[in-house]
Amino acid sequence: MALTGRAGLVAALGIVVVLLAPQPGAALAGVCLLLAAAIVVDLVFAGAVRPLRFHRSGDTLVRLGQRATVELIVENPGGRRVRGVLRDAWPPSANATPRTAALDVPKGERRKIVVTLDPTRRGDRSSVAVTVRSLGPLGLAARQGSHRSPWTVRVLPPFLSRKHLPSRLARLRELEGQHPALVRGQGTEFDSLREYVIGDDVRSIDWRATARRHDVVVRTWRPERDRRVLIVLDTGRTSAGRVGDAPIPMAGATAGGSGLLVRPDPRPAPGWPRLDWSMDAALLLAALAARAGDQVDFLAYDRAVRAWVAGASRTELLSSLVNVMAPIEAELIEADSQGMVASILSRAKRRCLVVLLTDLNSASLDEGLMPVLPQLSSRHLVLVAGVSDPRVAAMAARRGSAEDVYDAAAAEHAQLERRRITARLRRHGVEVVDALPEDIAPALADAYLALKAAGRL
Amino acid sequence: MSVVIPPTAAPAGPQAGPAPGGSQPTSPTTRSAWTASRMIVLLGAILILVAVIGVLIAPTRGPSRPLDPADTSLAGSKALAELLRSRGVQVDRVDSVQAASDMAARGGNRLLLITDTTYFDEDTLSRIPGDRLIVGDVFGLQTLAPGVRTHPEATRTRSREPQCQLPAARLAGSAYMGGRAFDAPAGGTGCYPATGGGHTLVSYPNAGGVTTVVGDGSFMTNLHLPEDGNAALALNLIGSGRPVTWLIRPERPPATELPGERGQSMYELMPDNVRWTVYMAIIAVAVTALWRGRRLGPVVAERLPVIVRAAETVEGRGRLYRARRARQRAADSLRAGTIDRLTPRLGLTSGAGPQEVVAALAARTGQDSHQVGAALYGQPPADDAALVALAGYLDFIERQVSEL
Repeated sequence: MALTGRAGLVAALGIVVVLLAPQPGAALAGVCLLLAAAIVVDLVFAGAVRPLRFHRSGDTLVRLGQRATVELIVENPGGRRVRGVLRDAWPPSANATPRTAALDVPKGERRKIVVTLDPTRRGDRSSVAVTVRSLGPLGLAARQGSHRSPWTVRVLPPFLSRKHLPSRLARLRELEGQHPALVRGQGTEFDSLREYVIGDDVRSIDWRATARRHDVVVRTWRPERDRRVLIVLDTGRTSAGRVGDAPIPMAGATAGGSGLLVRPDPRPAPGWPRLDWSMDAALLLAALAARAGDQVDFLAYDRAVRAWVAGASRTELLSSLVNVMAPIEAELIEADSQGMVASILSRAKRRCLVVLLTDLNSASLDEGLMPVLPQLSSRHLVLVAGVSDPRVAAMAARRGSAEDVYDAAAAEHAQLERRRITARLRRHGVEVVDALPEDIAPALADAYLALKAAGRL
Repeated sequence: MSVVIPPTAAPAGPQAGPAPGGSQPTSPTTRSAWTASRMIVLLGAILILVAVIGVLIAPTRGPSRPLDPADTSLAGSKALAELLRSRGVQVDRVDSVQAASDMAARGGNRLLLITDTTYFDEDTLSRIPGDRLIVGDVFGLQTLAPGVRTHPEATRTRSREPQCQLPAARLAGSAYMGGRAFDAPAGGTGCYPATGGGHTLVSYPNAGGVTTVVGDGSFMTNLHLPEDGNAALALNLIGSGRPVTWLIRPERPPATELPGERGQSMYELMPDNVRWTVYMAIIAVAVTALWRGRRLGPVVAERLPVIVRAAETVEGRGRLYRARRARQRAADSLRAGTIDRLTPRLGLTSGAGPQEVVAALAARTGQDSHQVGAALYGQPPADDAALVALAGYLDFIERQVSEL
């Protein structure tokens, strides 16, 4: 049951009536009885909410930054017309509009309501309840009830770095050579035999085949294929820190669209978590490696396996990756590097390129990864990629007042530690990519291409 | 292909309950609401019943006023009144000047016991002849007991010794006295001296009898009567034989104190409609509150990720440096950063010693090698200004190297 503003208005008019009536006591009783009777009439004659049935259809997957539409069909099998308002309750960060919709379903009919979602962060967004307030004929009171009509929209990572994919694929093609190379170099494998044409390097003539075919035949080579790449995403506490500018407005923050209560935050916008930047880089690398013919596996780990994708075919890889990444959030616990290395070793039997997306934080790496790194680097090629913070770089350049110089010294200290840990990692034979948030994805792709060109996979 | 998906459920997957895309009502029906809440309703009803019965069977009490001879509360004086009655003293409880005057007019030697004069006319009161006992801090003491001077500060009420020749006090001994302190006029007696001078009990001849003024009436209350010599003092002061006119504060202010023709209060003068209109307004507010207070559906809670900037630790370190004025550490960091960046540019290995770096740098930039050495490896700066200057100089060296 719910009252309306009209009931409040009637009660307010009652004040005037009682004030002017010759018999105020009787007038008060009369007004109250009248109001109560009208409310009872409204409740009795309002359309029933309980028998309503709801059906949904629409998007179940949407990229962050895009709009999803979910259709809600309200079916009224009851005996009376249902007129009133409907609220489809979604979590705030789903940014569902309209928040409430007018509803008018005659008996035995159905009506469609379209809800659009503009999600502001990754993950699964589920409708919690559908609530209908069905007004009575006088508009003084309404019946109200909720239904559960589950629907989940999975908000996928936006994969913004896909804009870098064409240029990297062009580089890859260059590397592979649409024309197979004639020179055997490092990182090449035997491709095919073909007839000699003038201009080919005589050193690449395959004499045995030439003798067999009675024609001059040369060997061609191509870069190695079918290598294994294992992308490991550290989802521990260091991945929760926010860096850079959020490329999608409001991403990661609470919805501000509906809130009069949301105060403007005086602090600078906190940007995106390292985790999201790392995911972006991982997606670009996975797309590139899949095109290059390598097998890509994915592991997300902090103290337990958060996600694991293995053996996905080239066509399915990206969709299964984004699907698995969507609900991953940074856990506020210290990552267990020993467990991570153990689970990598148990999963990757053959030699592969292990791309570890984590933070180059000397304190946590010293305690976690460094002691167990030799186990990993002795069996696999390890590449550590970390997102650096542009704010720290800006702080290091601050001059002027003493306060600024103290800040600059602190930032310089942080950068120094980062350079030292990078140097130590390199001494262990680990490749390191340290780049700003916007550059991490292309930098990682370039590092992969460089490794491929050098035949180190 | 094997895919492990975190436990946050598959997208739009079927959940327990309605089929995907279907629905099921979640609001309680009248029957289920009654089943769920009947115990609470029953308990509430029992509580209300017990409270009503308790109020109905509780004994009704008379009006409660301080130093009231009919009051049995701790602040009342029924105990003293009963003591007096058992000794054959007639106690007449009055709450108006008129009644007190009528009592006096009946003749005979009476004691007028004044406990409060808030609503009384002192002039009329002072015209009543005979003995007076004024208890507590009352208005119009100058009229009722002319010649008695009141000290401005009150003293603490505690057990005091009489230290005087007044028989009533001397026989009673120590008593619970305090409150106002007075100076007796010539010919009067002061007892129970206050700490700051003066006496808390003063007795002197006045208005055809003896007027006694006591600074605080708590020795007469039901609470304090059994303590010390309180009861003895009270009985001695009131005496025996003569009847007592016990004047207390009236329950309602007398009619003359109120506005209106026949002494009606403001509420009595208001038209009847106003009262009913207030009731109606309360009902209207309640209806409006019900309208605004009913939410359309549940509040949706969401587990949001933390918002913490990665640079916060660095900023915190900067503020620590600032707070402790850690110039040495700050200078060390700045110098180490500069050396770290300069060594590859100067063609040196990372293991190069200070002398090599300084020599290479001096040769490259043309700066004085002592100055460069002091900037890179010298003493920590003496104050903040020196630190700022050092940072500027390090920047300058770096620019020189990169430009050359």
